[in-house]
Amino acid sequence: MSTAQLPPQPNDSDRGASRGDGLPAHASATYYEQPLLKKPHWEWAVITYLFLGGIMGGSGMLVMIADERPEREADLARSARYVAFVLASACPLVLISHLGRPERFLNMLRIVKFKSVMSMGVWGLIAYTGPASLAAAAQLSRDGVLPKWIDALEPRPVMKLLQGIIGAFMAGYTGVLISATAIPVWGKGKRYIPAISVCSGFAGACALNAAIVALSGSDRTRHKLERLELIASTAEFILLERFRRHAGPLGEPMYGGARGRKLRTFTEIGGIIAPALLGCLPFGGRAKTLLAGALTLAGGYVLRETFIESGKDSADDPRAASRQPE
Amino acid sequence: MGSTTAVTVANGFFTDTTLCIGCKACEVACKQWNQLPADGYEFSGSSYDNTLELGGTTWRHVAFVEQAAPPDAPAADTKWLMMSDVCKHCTNAGCLEACPTGAIIRNEFEDVFIQPDICNGCGYCVPSCPFGVVDLIAPANYDASRGFVSDGRTNDDATQHHGGVAGKCTLCYDRQKLGLTPACAKACPTESIQFGNVDELHVRAKQRVETLQARGVQAYLYGVDDNSTVGDLNAFFLLTDAPAAYNLPERPVLPSTRQAAGYAAAAMTAAALALAGWAVFRSGD
Repeated sequence: MSTAQLPPQPNDSDRGASRGDGLPAHASATYYEQPLLKKPHWEWAVITYLFLGGIMGGSGMLVMIADERPEREADLARSARYVAFVLASACPLVLISHLGRPERFLNMLRIVKFKSVMSMGVWGLIAYTGPASLAAAAQLSRDGVLPKWIDALEPRPVMKLLQGIIGAFMAGYTGVLISATAIPVWGKGKRYIPAISVCSGFAGACALNAAIVALSGSDRTRHKLERLELIASTAEFILLERFRRHAGPLGEPMYGGARGRKLRTFTEIGGIIAPALLGCLPFGGRAKTLLAGALTLAGGYVLRETFIESGKDSADDPRAASRQPE
Repeated sequence: MGSTTAVTVANGFFTDTTLCIGCKACEVACKQWNQLPADGYEFSGSSYDNTLELGGTTWRHVAFVEQAAPPDAPAADTKWLMMSDVCKHCTNAGCLEACPTGAIIRNEFEDVFIQPDICNGCGYCVPSCPFGVVDLIAPANYDASRGFVSDGRTNDDATQHHGGVAGKCTLCYDRQKLGLTPACAKACPTESIQFGNVDELHVRAKQRVETLQARGVQAYLYGVDDNSTVGDLNAFFLLTDAPAAYNLPERPVLPSTRQAAGYAAAAMTAAALALAGWAVFRSGD
């Protein structure tokens, strides 16, 4: 580890840093520019989990919306139930791969701990697999794959509510999880990051389900999903821009430099503005929905990657870490 | 406070930085007793500090704050401060609250202890420490031939695999159970590191601050009555410069205090989107 990688900034307000005497930035400013906090060790598996968990949760919310009128919204109910179930099966695998060995996941199940957002998330994920599996089994039976009587087993009003509420929790808790840490940029976003996570997860769910409906369902459902996605991603865009202003210099690791450009290119322009413009085109049909869906999903992944990677840089800034956001 | 009778069972450290001579005996004693691997032989160029930070297998770290006097100031303004840093064993510990497995506990001495056989290496405690203390023990630092994992206090199997487990100062839990002083305090030749009942240490520390202030030294306690959300630190410090000079946060915040705002923001956003979804699917038919 090199301590010389961060030269003293002449415009730093800290005394001692601008003397220009050739000495390193003085300890009265920081301690040899040594990071004050430890970096999170999370890599692609956690980023992927945040991304997939958002879509999974958003799909649960779509199941709830579709089951308001199950006959009219049969297309959406079908795709959202399958997506929610497939992702509820995939997410634990991604989490386990992050821990290195499968049996280590069992340690999470020793306790239920309300103070630990990660414990809440693990139990949320487990609770979610219940209604998600039941709903998928009922859907399979309605689609003629499983025997008819299975469909009757699902207590629909309760299950749709559970899937919606736990789904919303799954889409949002990852944002709470990272903002309830000592990392300055995450802590500064204690309201923004959870809200952005919900919007992005819901928009991703709309995009993925619209793409599935485009291949197998009605144009009406597809258009409604596209409209809903536009609402969610507009909210996401506004929140991202407001957080940029709110975070100020603490937001530099997220919005500045190459990472900020990537966030702007892939999430704000590619994942939000481009799909919205595509939706305005009078032609394109289903292919347009598939392209917009892919762009939105890519934007959602880059958003989660930006969250995690900016947290690592933020941990390296001893000035930001010294006076931690409330 | 102010009474010499103990009202808490908490044991902790009072690290008086004005007595530290930078000998690093605490670092060495900690490494030896806890059978922790060495930090390597890298030359940092930052004064005499080649350890640089606390870590998964570095549980004491002596900071060397070396500040030359400004050119127009008397040479006596030159600062040469040493401070042995350690896990703070917070009253409200961010790592303990974050831990989803219950591996991090508060033991019978009111100290924050990681049970290595229960830790699953999720890494959530690492960014949850407002002082940047706890870290995952990288598999590269693990060396079976040194016997680091052979004493049953570290999960052998887990450590050998991806991610390792989390590590930090145990406040020599094993020594305390035997009635022994923690290794670092035992080795300290100047009593810069004092171990004992936290209430008694507070009394002693406040007397020391008064003595120093009477001599004109700008001394104060860090981690006592600071009115911070992390609460009093069971391992607290007597400092003579700003906390940032020693790489301590001027305003540490307990991370879990942000949860309520986060959950509320997520719930409101989700409710708004669900309503929008309901409206969109109802509209036009």
